[in-house]
Amino acid sequence: MTQDVEMKDNQTPTESVVSAPTSTLQNLKEIAALIDTGSYTKEVRRIARAVRLTVGLRRQLTGSVISSFLDFALVPGSEAHTRLSSFVPKSDEHDMEVDTASSTSQAPPKHLPAELEIYCYFIVLLLLIDQKKYSEAKACSSASIARLKNVNRRTVDVIASKLYFYYSLSYELTDDLAEIRSTLLALHHSATLRHDELGQETLLNLLLRNYLHYNLYDQAEKLRSKAPRFEAHSNQQFCRYLFYLGKIRTIQLEYTDAKESLLQAARKAPVASLGFRIQCNKWAIIVRLLLGEIPERSIFTQKGMEKPLRPYFELTNAVRIGDLELFGNVQEKFAETFAKDRTHNLIVRLRHNVIRTGLRNISISYSRISLQDVAQKLRLNSANPVADAESIVAKAIRDGAIDATIDHKNGCMVSKETGDIYSTNEPQTAFNSRIAFCLNMHNEAVRALRFPPNTHKEKESDEKRREKKQQEEELAKYMAEEDDDDF
Amino acid sequence: MDPQLTEVSQQFERFKAAFARKDYNTCSDLLSQLKVLLTKFTSLPPLFENSPNAAKELTIARDIYEHAVVLSVKTEDQDAFERDFFQLKPYYVDARNRIPSSPQENLILGLNLLRLLVQNRIAEFHTELELLSSATLEDPCIKHAVELEQSFMEGAYNRVLSARQTAPDATYVYFMDLLAKTIRDEIAGCSEKAYDYVSISDARQMLLFSSDQELLTYVKEEHPDWEVKEGFVVFQKAKETAPCKEIPSLQLINQTLSYARELERIV
Repeated sequence: MTQDVEMKDNQTPTESVVSAPTSTLQNLKEIAALIDTGSYTKEVRRIARAVRLTVGLRRQLTGSVISSFLDFALVPGSEAHTRLSSFVPKSDEHDMEVDTASSTSQAPPKHLPAELEIYCYFIVLLLLIDQKKYSEAKACSSASIARLKNVNRRTVDVIASKLYFYYSLSYELTDDLAEIRSTLLALHHSATLRHDELGQETLLNLLLRNYLHYNLYDQAEKLRSKAPRFEAHSNQQFCRYLFYLGKIRTIQLEYTDAKESLLQAARKAPVASLGFRIQCNKWAIIVRLLLGEIPERSIFTQKGMEKPLRPYFELTNAVRIGDLELFGNVQEKFAETFAKDRTHNLIVRLRHNVIRTGLRNISISYSRISLQDVAQKLRLNSANPVADAESIVAKAIRDGAIDATIDHKNGCMVSKETGDIYSTNEPQTAFNSRIAFCLNMHNEAVRALRFPPNTHKEKESDEKRREKKQQEEELAKYMAEEDDDDF
Repeated sequence: MDPQLTEVSQQFERFKAAFARKDYNTCSDLLSQLKVLLTKFTSLPPLFENSPNAAKELTIARDIYEHAVVLSVKTEDQDAFERDFFQLKPYYVDARNRIPSSPQENLILGLNLLRLLVQNRIAEFHTELELLSSATLEDPCIKHAVELEQSFMEGAYNRVLSARQTAPDATYVYFMDLLAKTIRDEIAGCSEKAYDYVSISDARQMLLFSSDQELLTYVKEEHPDWEVKEGFVVFQKAKETAPCKEIPSLQLINQTLSYARELERIV
């Protein structure tokens, strides 16, 4: 009884809705045709273009559209079809109507290229993840990975790497990442054997992400150092790789390398990927603080980043002033933010920097100051402040942070006169480093001239991944067409 | 109970008895035997099979390794410590869900952190630190090691030495002694840069010697460039770098050549 009522209610909206899914369906069919020709002629770029077009359609995919597409693309009743259809949610009641309307007019394709089947898995996955049905996404992606093992064609690589990404994503969203580690490793192994470079890159990044999720920095570093490296195929994968590399280097106390990687990642990331850039910037700020340099204020006022970077701004302030008490307060105040970003341990290391900066300020301002006063100004809060202060000052002198001597008998610190700096080699070395930097920049710019600059940025969406994919596909297509022109 | 399990338990009891007697040689022998017996259990890492006695086997194996670690501290064998600790680690990490946590876990983790600190492997120290959850970080054993590293980095060496008294466990004493030696070298290094001269009594206090004689032998052996006269230790400051009048010609030539080369490349 209730079913009849529902059907009647859906009669009127069906007509108006039929036209909308049809156009999406039309697009999907065009994409399917594209994939067909691509697989027939073995041209990777057609497949790449197909994937790019799909990304644009992502918002309009619904359960009904996908089921009708599945009916069109795969032979109904075949094993693949039943499997995939079971994943598609049957929430829309007018599934029936649309099905009968569209499927009668099209004849199913004669042969089924493997790419098309994998592609179907791909759009079903997209739908499930967008609708937040994560456990089903998990099941679907595992099925697709199992299917992928049997297919060994270069044309599938582009779609396959997207599938790997969503596979890992669905497991991560259900908090089950440790399970798939061995699968990812096996996939990476076979990708390397088949010279599937895009797959290799994607899988390496996914593995690193997996390890870093559980804080297993040691293993991540071991994998990264042993995995084969090559020219990056995809800008986004390269950015991700740089970010993970930066994180590993930071934990291993190699701050200079870390700073380079993180800043490069933040620079290369497309403007629309706000979340990613925020993360990069957070870590870059901390690394710079640990290196002893203060990041400029303009970093904190970048568009869209003000609020998330606010705790780090206050932290920088505390370090810049060299005030231990303020530092302690900031640390407590934003403890949860730092715990969430997993930067808590790094911030603990910053305490040392705060003391150093404080000491430096004191040594510059006073020519002679008693150690008692030093301890007071530094707000050391310890049981034996004078002795502590003395050893801290001694170490700072040894490390070259301040230029002074200690007069033990009188218990005071005497700052040295800073001589005329222009009569030494200092200016020459400073100039040299700047010149080298500019020349390097020039060389890199020349090398990068092959790629067109990313001038068109659409601000419509705030889903960072979708925009990134679009950019990447455009670039790849551009490159491929350029190659064609050369012939 | 499984006959193998019984045998292992008995051996283990003998091991514990020998340990209490401080008979370390017997302990080492028994330990090697125990390790061989443990290979027969399949529920242990790396296999982690689910046999019926899995929980008991895991617990016993973990206890054995924990004792092995403590034994290596007593015999002052750092390599053995490292080996046994690495074998113990999977029990803490992967088997966490299968067996209830061990009371000695934090103690052993703290010992490991301390060992890395003493061997100056600070990068690994921090990597290990990342693996610990925030709850573990509150534990006194771990906190002790973390604060030690902080004070060491800052240079507040007297804090490090006073921490020796507050060590949470007797097993820490061995590492603290090693640390004391490292600190002494550090203090000496800092002092020679920071002070022009120090009186002998002050030097003795700073470097933690109990008598002047020890101080003098130390100075003679380790720092021959320090002079001792009139009751003062004078750090060699005569090598004050006068403003360098020489030009490092080779370096300048190299730099200029590289500029020329790069500029040529600019089309």
